[in-house]
Amino acid sequence: MGMLEITSTPMILVLILGTTGVALPIVSIARRERGSNSFYAVIAFAALAASIAYVGYRFLTGDVAESAVFSKDVLGDDAFGGFFAIAMIIVALFTTAGSFNYMRKRNSPAAYYSLILLATIGMVLVAYSTDLVMLFVAWELMSIPTYVLAGFLKKNPSSNEAALKYFLFGALSSAIIVYAISLSYGLTGSTNIGEVIRGLAALDPSLMPLALLSVGLFIAGFGFKMGLVPFHQWLPDTYEGAPPPVVALLAAATKKAGFAAAIRIVILGMVALSLDWTLALGIIAVMTMTVGNVAAIMQKSISRMLAYSSIGHAGYILIGLAVSPHTPLGLQGSLYQILNHAVMKGAAFIAIGGIVTALAVTHIDKLAGLGRKMPVTAMGLVLSLFALAGIPPLSGFWSKLVLFGGALDAGSTLWWAPWLAIAGVLNSALSLAYYGWITRKMYFEGEREKRIAEPKSVMAVMIFASIFLVGFGIYPEPLIQFVEFAAPVIP
Amino acid sequence: MTSELVDYALVSVALLGIGIYGLAVKRNFIRMLFAVEIIINAANLNLVAFARFLPDSSGQTLALFSIAIAAAEVAVGLSLIIVAYRMYQNVDIADFRSLKG
Repeated sequence: MGMLEITSTPMILVLILGTTGVALPIVSIARRERGSNSFYAVIAFAALAASIAYVGYRFLTGDVAESAVFSKDVLGDDAFGGFFAIAMIIVALFTTAGSFNYMRKRNSPAAYYSLILLATIGMVLVAYSTDLVMLFVAWELMSIPTYVLAGFLKKNPSSNEAALKYFLFGALSSAIIVYAISLSYGLTGSTNIGEVIRGLAALDPSLMPLALLSVGLFIAGFGFKMGLVPFHQWLPDTYEGAPPPVVALLAAATKKAGFAAAIRIVILGMVALSLDWTLALGIIAVMTMTVGNVAAIMQKSISRMLAYSSIGHAGYILIGLAVSPHTPLGLQGSLYQILNHAVMKGAAFIAIGGIVTALAVTHIDKLAGLGRKMPVTAMGLVLSLFALAGIPPLSGFWSKLVLFGGALDAGSTLWWAPWLAIAGVLNSALSLAYYGWITRKMYFEGEREKRIAEPKSVMAVMIFASIFLVGFGIYPEPLIQFVEFAAPVIP
Repeated sequence: MTSELVDYALVSVALLGIGIYGLAVKRNFIRMLFAVEIIINAANLNLVAFARFLPDSSGQTLALFSIAIAAAEVAVGLSLIIVAYRMYQNVDIADFRSLKG
């Protein structure tokens, strides 16, 4: 294991976010005060903004290696990691801004924002890590703060139950990942991901069952975080009970860290093992999106509905992973959908946070007339929902187009791949039904309601998300180029 | 692979099985936490055994990291269950039913 240059992106991110994250609680103790939420929120927001600016700067100066590299170091400064870093820091910015009003008059704001920053470092390092030891430590750095964040409302039984369920499944997923790492280490004698993949490619055929077990455990371990069926049971309860801004972080960012790790290890490792695993992933993808979307229709609470829709989206993203050995569009589509989903789902949960702050409701029937009561929040929510469904002028349409186009493209060598695209389109149509239902409730039902004060920070997030979704929907070129630059190339 | 290494691997797989059984069958949160800990220790045993037989030190490094992190994880888990116990006077996960769909 070597040392990375101090100016490389992951090092600087650790420096900025880590220092701020550790300093916030210390400052809070030194100032001997409670409350003053805005002070800590602004500092955390500034640290995150500085980090995303540095990632962007590294991309613009061209110091970042294209695609995914496998260096001898524990961290690689590559475009793949940078891509995920940008997606995750956008979500962390959403969460910090969205918590501004939500956390007002609640306890220990310094600890809250500090935990968000620490979890963000964890997620970013998961995407950058090229060594299994680093990956495991980063995975835990991401998970442990989010367990606390999910249970942050101490007096609220739902928040506590959400945290307990999330903790149990999260701890199980980490335990399974360590076990998988131990097996692949025993088989290849190294913890460096590049060497593990090379070692697996040259494996003695008699040890193949152990290698299969290791890959299967990796999928299970990452699958818990990604919310793949059948590892999804914790997800609706946690997303319903935890504070909505925290759920934005869970749904839009920690889930993506699971995909980042899965793409780097499992997909590339499976190619090395030359396994015929595409069908298995394809079946999981179809099951995941169908279970997610069908269950979403029956929900009464909007957080729970979006939780199931989030399961459905994990299924769409998995389509790209399943067809990745047959077409480069597969991983590009997955990455594109990951970035869009981060913005869409992040914005949707921040909107719910705003609704909970202002009206204290999550039941869908109670949302009637929201379009008049909270016009900006409702607009942001509706745009995110339509983008999630993949309505044409919005950014979500293009990522689904690339994903399903990839599945059709793989059809020349993989007879069942076009069926994945068909399943995806059918599921999108199904999802439009419940998104349309919420929209109808918000705009076409309810009495003539007066406009009420909307949380300003939530409005800012909504406006940013709307500009992102509409802007990159009308002009998707830059995002497509970015995705092509960042997507790993499978040999 | 020497036969001693196989012994270690068998014990480790047995521990993995016990852990998964515990998670599947028990409904007491603290017992489930134990089950997760058993899985982590199965992995640690694997790591240390492989590191001894390879020989290579990075497995032991990871085992040390994993022990330290597991301790942090248990601290968070137990604090969550203390909060739950104050609310429900119980640590049975089947009784926590404020969320359902």
